Amino acid sequence: MKKRYVDEKIIKKWLEEAENARRIRREMADWNFINSQPPRLREALKYYVETGDIRRACIFAGMDLEDFRDLLRKAKIPVIV
Amino acid sequence: MSTKRRIGIADTCFLIDWARYRDKDILFKIFDLVFISETVLREIKSDLTISWVASKLAENKLALYTETDDEIEEARRLVLLSREIPHMISIDLPEALCLVVGRRKGFIVLTENKGAIMATEVFEEYKDVIVWRALEVLLTAHLERKIDIDCKNPLKHFRGYQEDTLHIFSNKDLDEVRKRIEKEICR
Repeated sequence: MKKRYVDEKIIKKWLEEAENARRIRREMADWNFINSQPPRLREALKYYVETGDIRRACIFAGMDLEDFRDLLRKAKIPVIV
Repeated sequence: MSTKRRIGIADTCFLIDWARYRDKDILFKIFDLVFISETVLREIKSDLTISWVASKLAENKLALYTETDDEIEEARRLVLLSREIPHMISIDLPEALCLVVGRRKGFIVLTENKGAIMATEVFEEYKDVIVWRALEVLLTAHLERKIDIDCKNPLKHFRGYQEDTLHIFSNKDLDEVRKRIEKEICR
């Protein structure tokens, strides 16, 4: 598989979008709910807030994708794509 | 006269949010058929999503896509390649498989995975793959007049989707779709 030269503009655009999404997740999240969770879930939720990476967050939480998506809703953490 | 059928292939992240949307059956006014891979089907667990997916499979609006070994192998290579690039958003096998099938079959990939969207900008082989999020599905429903449109409130359905799913569209995206609806439908 041929790898394309990754244009710095593409990377910059995605990094800016990721930062904007992170800011919104931090602002909208219910931190009281997050901090009241058992350690494993709490850290998984925090990881998601910081990265938006749902699959890794699911592994940390020990939950499947749909259950973790429900947990995100309870924690008022939006999915931003 | 024949018209080309519009066929999609959906990943898990798209399906589990879309299944919560009040007007979810709009999807089938836009697509003639939407495939779900076996990999994705195995990830669906909630009663709500299973109920919707099962009923639409029974109605032949959704169909099961059985991946070939070759497609899985290509998807695995794509996953590995994506992880070798600094700042590349992680892409995982279910989404990679959708991209591979989308590329090979010309299906529209339905995903909410940023890594999958980014991959079409980064990898030459996938630059022609059409990737739609819920945003593009809803916009298409408007532009093709498959949904009731309130020109006084052109973002009504987008707001409804956000309320039902807690899936947030960016202000920039919402501004762009509002302008397109106003220009092309509500002029």
